[in-house]
Amino acid sequence: MSDPRARPDWEAVSLRLVFGLLAAVALIFLVAPTLVILITSFTDSESLRFPPTGFSLRWYEALLDADQMQRAAWNSLQIAVCTTLLCVLLGTPASIAMARSRHPWIRACDVLFMSPLLLPALAFGFAGLIFVNQMGFRPSVTFLVLGHTIVCVPFVLRTTIAAMTQLDPALLDASRSLGASEWTTFRRVTLPLIAKGIAAGAFLAFMASFDNVPVSLFLADERTEVLPIHLWQQIESNLDVRTAAASGVIVMLTLGLMIIAERTAGLTRQMR
Amino acid sequence: MESRRGHELHLAGITQRFGDYVAVRDIDLKIGAGELVALLGPSGCGKSTLLRIISGFMPQTEGKVFFDGEAVDHLPPNKRGVGIVFQNYALFPHMTIRQNIAYGLEVQRVPAARLKTRVDEMLDLVHMGEFAERYPRQLSGGQQQRIALARCLAVDPKILLLDEPFGALDKNLRLDMQIEVKRLQREYGITTVLVTHDQEEALSMADRVAVMSRGRIEQIASPTDIYDRPETLFVNQFVGSTNVLPGIAGEMAGAGQQVTLACGERIALAEGSRLATGAQVQVSIRPEHLTLQTAPLDNAITGVIKAVMPLGPQVLYDIAVGDGTDIKVSVPRKRGDEFLLSGTRIFAAPVPPAGYRAFPV
Ligand SMILES: Nc1ncnc2c1ncn2[C@@H]1O[C@H](COP(=O)(O)OP(=O)(O)O)[C@@H](O)[C@H]1O
Ligand SMILES: [Mg+2]
Repeated sequence: MSDPRARPDWEAVSLRLVFGLLAAVALIFLVAPTLVILITSFTDSESLRFPPTGFSLRWYEALLDADQMQRAAWNSLQIAVCTTLLCVLLGTPASIAMARSRHPWIRACDVLFMSPLLLPALAFGFAGLIFVNQMGFRPSVTFLVLGHTIVCVPFVLRTTIAAMTQLDPALLDASRSLGASEWTTFRRVTLPLIAKGIAAGAFLAFMASFDNVPVSLFLADERTEVLPIHLWQQIESNLDVRTAAASGVIVMLTLGLMIIAERTAGLTRQMR
Repeated sequence: MESRRGHELHLAGITQRFGDYVAVRDIDLKIGAGELVALLGPSGCGKSTLLRIISGFMPQTEGKVFFDGEAVDHLPPNKRGVGIVFQNYALFPHMTIRQNIAYGLEVQRVPAARLKTRVDEMLDLVHMGEFAERYPRQLSGGQQQRIALARCLAVDPKILLLDEPFGALDKNLRLDMQIEVKRLQREYGITTVLVTHDQEEALSMADRVAVMSRGRIEQIASPTDIYDRPETLFVNQFVGSTNVLPGIAGEMAGAGQQVTLACGERIALAEGSRLATGAQVQVSIRPEHLTLQTAPLDNAITGVIKAVMPLGPQVLYDIAVGDGTDIKVSVPRKRGDEFLLSGTRIFAAPVPPAGYRAFPV
């Protein structure tokens, strides 16, 4: 039917054209803002105007002296690390238990744990604040980390459950029949085989915590300022060009981390 | 190395229920040391369930499992010493071949020096030494299966369970692997249960075949007896192919009993049949146990040839008999023979010592 030397198959060509165009548009919308902020961050002027009139690294140098911004970044980093650890410690065992079970209650738990991904995080943050107050506490770093954990744990759950479903139960039976206890089987077979899934989830959870605004807005105490909120305030009050440079740093670090994650854990494969 | 004497396996009154559903029903089975017994049956008849019970992964609802006369029901799978080869081999994908084989020895804390010699020994046994540092995904199906077997035998299991182990192999390789597995099984003298739904596999490999249907063992006997002296119609139909003709049992006539077939024919059964006169029966005769002739034959069914199918070494005739039913007759093909033609009226009779067998309905 389709001899390549015969008339071109217009239907196929137009289909490809349409999909190609759609992909290109999507790509532009995704990448363009990041590119704009990256280019702007190298400006030599005092304003965030695009396109910049000249090139310089002055705003990156200025970051070195931006004490407050650095403190906010350090806070965010610590919170993201703690959150990621908690997500992995709680999410992995939960995923393993949930992946095996078909019980309706377990299905219900799954939906419950996933709900922070669907519900407006702002509402969750606000509810969290009220809850903490009701219990007679004040917002603090502990509650901030707990709040982040709740909204970030779905990432670990999704990727780990996906990895568990890929895991052939016959492997576990084989291990047991060869004389390994359940614990040894977990350590030597299950864990190594789902490690990439956990790692991918941890990466996503880290990123989600690092740039979380809605939960931090409500649950951070006055002394703990996190980076995304700090950047927002800088922009709002004085259109600080250093925020562009900070964004540039974040974009590049993220890109670097993603490349590492892709190389080692096959991040995108784990998310399918 | 420890003694290579096999162990006895005894299943006593094993029943397994899943809710109301009875997957395995009152199975009694004794397997001698070093014997290879095949569990043969259609998919869903409870073969895998029985294996899971033997290996300790599923506590049975009723009954007991004995190894060498000792009950093992309280032992978890990792303490039972049952080796399993799975249909998809279940090699650990994150370990090399060497690590796969060493795994069982490591978790059982075998000292390093002995572990190494044992692994090398197993690699030699299955002729896979040169692949030791590869990963399972780099091996073919047959090679993976050898490794699965080596991994299993490395820890000296008491009982070896093979769950449809050849199902994923293509036909030629399957035969090679069957021979190979049989050789290893003999060499090790290990008591083995082979689960399969492939009758050829069961008949060619097993010392005894247990034919299962809907959770029960229909018959357990040597491959020859299963094929030539099936005790139930199910066994007769499941193992090999057969023609089934309904009829009504009649009087004893000499050695064999008379049966009037629904197609109008009256035939005599093989010796030893003893069915109540007047009972509804199913008469069975295998296609290759019949001979064809245009001249009248003793104890024959008459019919008209509907189709002739030359199948290589055999010629298969499809023959219409009296009441609209068909029978098949398979005749060995000799050089220079002319085929009988469609439309020919013929007589089909059993070739002694084969005969008609009848089963009560
Ligand atoms: N864990 C289980 N829960 C409920 N039913 C099961 C379970 N395991 C097996 N069965 C049922 O028991 C029957 C026998 O299964 P199985 O032993 O796997 O058959 P086979 O291996 O002969 O194909 C099947 O009908 C299957 O659906
Ligand atoms: Mg099965």
